Amino acid sequence: MTKLTYFPGCSAHGTSEEFDSTLKLVMKSLDVEMEELPDWNCCGATSAHVMTENLALALPLRNLVLAEKLSNKTMGIACASCYSRMKSTKVEMDNHPELAKRINSTIIEEGEYQGSVDVKSMLQFFYEDFGTEAIAEKVTYPLQGLKIACYYGCLLTRPKAITQFDSPEYPMSMDNIVESLGATATPFDFKTECCGASFSISDTEIVLSLSGTILEMAKESGAHLIAVACPLCQSNLDMRQPDIEKKNGTKYDMPVMYITQLMALAFGYPVQDLKPSKHIVPIEQALSHIGEEIETPEVKKKPKKAVQAESEVE
Amino acid sequence: MIALGQQIENKFLVAVNKKSSNNILDCYQCGKCVSTCPVSSFMDFSPREIMQMIKLGLKEETYMANSMWFCLTCAACSGRCPREIDIPRVMESIRHLAIAENINPDDPRVKNIRKFHEIFLDMIKRYGRNYELRMMAEFNIRTRNLFKDIHLAPKALLKGKIPIGNEKVKSAKAIKRMFEIAEKLEKTQ
Repeated sequence: MTKLTYFPGCSAHGTSEEFDSTLKLVMKSLDVEMEELPDWNCCGATSAHVMTENLALALPLRNLVLAEKLSNKTMGIACASCYSRMKSTKVEMDNHPELAKRINSTIIEEGEYQGSVDVKSMLQFFYEDFGTEAIAEKVTYPLQGLKIACYYGCLLTRPKAITQFDSPEYPMSMDNIVESLGATATPFDFKTECCGASFSISDTEIVLSLSGTILEMAKESGAHLIAVACPLCQSNLDMRQPDIEKKNGTKYDMPVMYITQLMALAFGYPVQDLKPSKHIVPIEQALSHIGEEIETPEVKKKPKKAVQAESEVE
Repeated sequence: MIALGQQIENKFLVAVNKKSSNNILDCYQCGKCVSTCPVSSFMDFSPREIMQMIKLGLKEETYMANSMWFCLTCAACSGRCPREIDIPRVMESIRHLAIAENINPDDPRVKNIRKFHEIFLDMIKRYGRNYELRMMAEFNIRTRNLFKDIHLAPKALLKGKIPIGNEKVKSAKAIKRMFEIAEKLEKTQ
């Protein structure tokens, strides 16, 4: 049995409860024991790094130091923003000893940072520690017929120097996972465009505009639903969808589901366990496509391999 | 009067370079960042223009722009910058420098964005974690827009999308102390 330190983040106990609960189901199927980080605190995203340099590193640092007290070598992070802050802090701490000393002085009781724990997003954990074959083995209810636009958002693969995972331009890890569940990943060019993130509250107009284009492109790709691995992306694309439809004068009817909900479904858990009532855009209609025959696509499929960033091509 | 060939020290450029660990003189104004940036159309000055303004030492103008407040840190620009400038980091640095000098752009949207971040940090200082519902309510009160998003409330609350209660960190004192020390560091840097 694999053991993993689990950092849920504030939204997993709030707006993205269905991410948290289905993540736990998936981990049970994969035989992973998740140990929630005791007394974790908010990572500060997005506000800490907008306003101050020291706090932006101090808040994640306390969590990193707490994680080192447990015996697990990896901390898996549900929220993409938390992941980004935590991984950035780790990279800063590991590479700048002077800065590390300064930031460490803000946490007194928890102790010294050692750098002994690795930080991964859940998507990265599934992809690197299990892989698509191991995931496919657990599938008892193939999602054949379901067409999915995989949306990564900005922070799961960017910046490359921090994440060291998949392609910052055209990642394929989530696409390959949904295909291993039996579903079809649609060619979707807006998979790493930003949804507007925390402007959801402070400047909603921006989110309506940015998330609107993402919904538009997902629809155009022929998808029945969008798969995400970030709570903020989910709430912007789902909760704001009626407002976006009103603004653009169109209907998208595009459910936005966590990758863990789709995995749980394919692993044989009943739809009720996905907490469908949490969704503003209902998921049932989209899921009714499961079992349909797929017509052979005329368009040439995108290559399976992720497109490398320009800087790496040479 | 400046004599020909005389070197003028661009203190602003030096400060931003140091704070952001970048060399903004590397920027050759290709504009790839602008075409990549999802929010450049909301900005007074595009990322490319901001880079040039820093090069020219236009400190006041840069601080008064709303650009760095709209930056989402999505890092699309830096991934494509042919000169490998960490543009989000530069945006962050000029924002931090402007905050330290207490210079605020007049744009009312920036005032809202700033208020949001202040409320958010206040939530963390108080509870150690974010309290989403309270944060939204406080934002509406402090921006004097009580009914913003109220149409979402029945659905979001009934479906349990946004929980009513909140969680707190046990070591609340440790978090409070962290805030105090970090604030002191901010001033002495």
